[in-house]
Amino acid sequence: MTQSPTLSRRSSSSASPLPRKSRQRGADARAGYTFLLPWLLGFIALTVGPMISSLYLSFTNYNLFEPPKWIGLDNYTTLFQDERFLQSVGVTVSYVVFGTPLKLAAALAVAMLLNSKRRGQGFYRSAFYAPSLIGASVSIAIVWKAMFGDAGPVDQGLSFFGINLGGWVGNPAMTMPMFILLTVWQFGAPMVIFLAGLKQIPADLYEAASMDGAGPVRKFFNITWPMLSPVIFFNLLMETIHAFQIFASAYIISNGEGGPAGSTLFYTLYLYLRGFSDFRMGYASAMAWLLVIVVGIITLIFFRTSKSWVHYSGDAK
Amino acid sequence: MINRRHFLTTVAVGTASAAALAACGTGSGTSAGETGSAENPVTINYTWWGNDDRAERTRKAIALFEEKNPDIKVNGNFTDFAGYWQKRATEAAGGGLPDVMQWDLSYLRDYGQRNQLLDLGTVNINTDAFEKSLLPSGQIRGKTYGIPTSTNAFAVYYDPAKLASLGIAEPDGSWTYKEFNEFLAEVGAKSNGEIFGSTDYTGVWWMFNIWLRQNNIEAFTEDGKLGFTKDDLKKWWNQTAALRGTPAIVSEERVTQLAPKSPFGSNVTATEVTWDNFMAGYLADSGAKELKLAPVPSDDPDNLGLFLKPSMLMVASAKTKFKDAAARFIDFMVNDPEVGQIFKTSRGVPASKTQRDGTTFEGTDKLVVDYEKSIEQYLKDAPEPPIVGFGTLEASFKRVASDLNYGKLTIDGAADAWFKEAEDLIKQNA
Repeated sequence: MTQSPTLSRRSSSSASPLPRKSRQRGADARAGYTFLLPWLLGFIALTVGPMISSLYLSFTNYNLFEPPKWIGLDNYTTLFQDERFLQSVGVTVSYVVFGTPLKLAAALAVAMLLNSKRRGQGFYRSAFYAPSLIGASVSIAIVWKAMFGDAGPVDQGLSFFGINLGGWVGNPAMTMPMFILLTVWQFGAPMVIFLAGLKQIPADLYEAASMDGAGPVRKFFNITWPMLSPVIFFNLLMETIHAFQIFASAYIISNGEGGPAGSTLFYTLYLYLRGFSDFRMGYASAMAWLLVIVVGIITLIFFRTSKSWVHYSGDAK
Repeated sequence: MINRRHFLTTVAVGTASAAALAACGTGSGTSAGETGSAENPVTINYTWWGNDDRAERTRKAIALFEEKNPDIKVNGNFTDFAGYWQKRATEAAGGGLPDVMQWDLSYLRDYGQRNQLLDLGTVNINTDAFEKSLLPSGQIRGKTYGIPTSTNAFAVYYDPAKLASLGIAEPDGSWTYKEFNEFLAEVGAKSNGEIFGSTDYTGVWWMFNIWLRQNNIEAFTEDGKLGFTKDDLKKWWNQTAALRGTPAIVSEERVTQLAPKSPFGSNVTATEVTWDNFMAGYLADSGAKELKLAPVPSDDPDNLGLFLKPSMLMVASAKTKFKDAAARFIDFMVNDPEVGQIFKTSRGVPASKTQRDGTTFEGTDKLVVDYEKSIEQYLKDAPEPPIVGFGTLEASFKRVASDLNYGKLTIDGAADAWFKEAEDLIKQNA
């Protein structure tokens, strides 16, 4: 990229080679940081600063009105005696564990269907991608709530087949399946990435496999899966982290309360309630930092285990 | 990681914009110092919670105020009740509460005791037309933080048309808890489960508070501790133990599905136990021709445990630059007879006699006023502002009772859970 300016400057400059080179590097770095500056300022002021102050607050008792009082690790230790906290962990973990793999499976399946040359593929791709663009919005959560309510379309549809579940929104046993369906429905973003990955797999691999008499299942496990594994890994990581963050839809569907019977009390929702309804900002900060640490550990585990199943092109494995 | 970042960014941006907004509001017109003139008016911010109906009425009242006080402009802003307190919390943290605010008794201590609200005793607001027993509910440790706009009292709402269609007689004055429960069961039985008796009234904090008063127990002690025992609470939740899961009480599933609308407003129940100023809202929601009010049940016919509570208060920010303008606006909102004409009973029955006498009440508004008159002989002093963090306790009372109705908790477990939260909260705020 920097080829042409380097050449032109070299011809016009007459200083000795060594310092010229380092000066050159310094100028490049300066230019780089200048371009980076707007983002960097925002990052420091809006991300690093608040994060450091929240780390401090997590060791204090802070009610928003009075100066924070240092209480050491108290917030962190009381967390584990708080039944509502443990409930929120349970709810969130089951959402991540069931929702994420299902969503990825749906994304991969649809991506494979769309990875063939048929007429109108562009339309189908857009149509399947659309839900993930609007899925996180407030209006969709409201529509979802109406759909799964008493005598809503879902209830009526199932009743037609003789399944009488009633409204899902008010039934503590059915709210988690409802949230999982909501996230699976928004498979568009990972699907597009899968599709790009599938297009990268050389067609001659499949041709060679067909010549050797491999069926579709064999081709999937011996060609598609290993060739796609870096993309699968990326999607798994992103979607897992994303799933831990679920907030807006839970807030709207449960009227900001995490009900019925605490079945939608997601981690971030409880964090929010603790901070802004109960005025316990220190406690909320401790929850936030615990989440950072846990998500960090999960990411680390993913990276460690990835060596055994993720294959990058050019790898000896 | 991303999670934190997003969350914190939102918080930071929210706080910053709230502070910026507040700065805009209080910054304008400062050239005139603390007071303005007709040519150069000061602008004060006023915020309230409520629905569109209240917004319309408030706008009318503000227009009238500005007409009478050309040296002051009022900049109005409103949200719903739940979001209201989260907004105030962020504003208070940023030091930018609006100049004048509509307030609820539940949060008076949280903000008053922490020096966020102006001592209204230091400014000029006329309280001569108020009942002397009502004013203490806006006072903490001798300082006046809130002036009641209006009063409300607890009542049993019922829909006469629904009762008539089921062939059930309307309640005639006083009833015991046993009689009330039998009445609820009869509604459920005669309607074949089409219409439920009521929501589980034991899940309502204020009804519990009234029952405690009927038994001569105060909910909170003067030093901010709980005045009742776990056994009292268990006894209370046992009142409707036999009715839960029967058509006498609407199931918690339905209540959740219908939220934020109430089952009564949705025509799912025949009665509802709550504040009498919800009348207008219930009429609009249910489309019923007529709704009536009966007193709450009590096992002691001479002690209904009832009291008039300020349905809302007017407060000012401790940091307002326009104390005089804020005081004049509050005085106008609570005392002016024309404001009474605008709001009728939608805020509750006007607390100031000047305002009450200047208002004509007709139809359902008259029902509410008549109800408060009919219980006058049973009324006791209004409660003091509840303890710091009461808003949280009230919410968790409702939540634990809901878990109880879902069958997720036993009565013993529910009482344990609530007491643990309450004691933890009281310790936190001590």
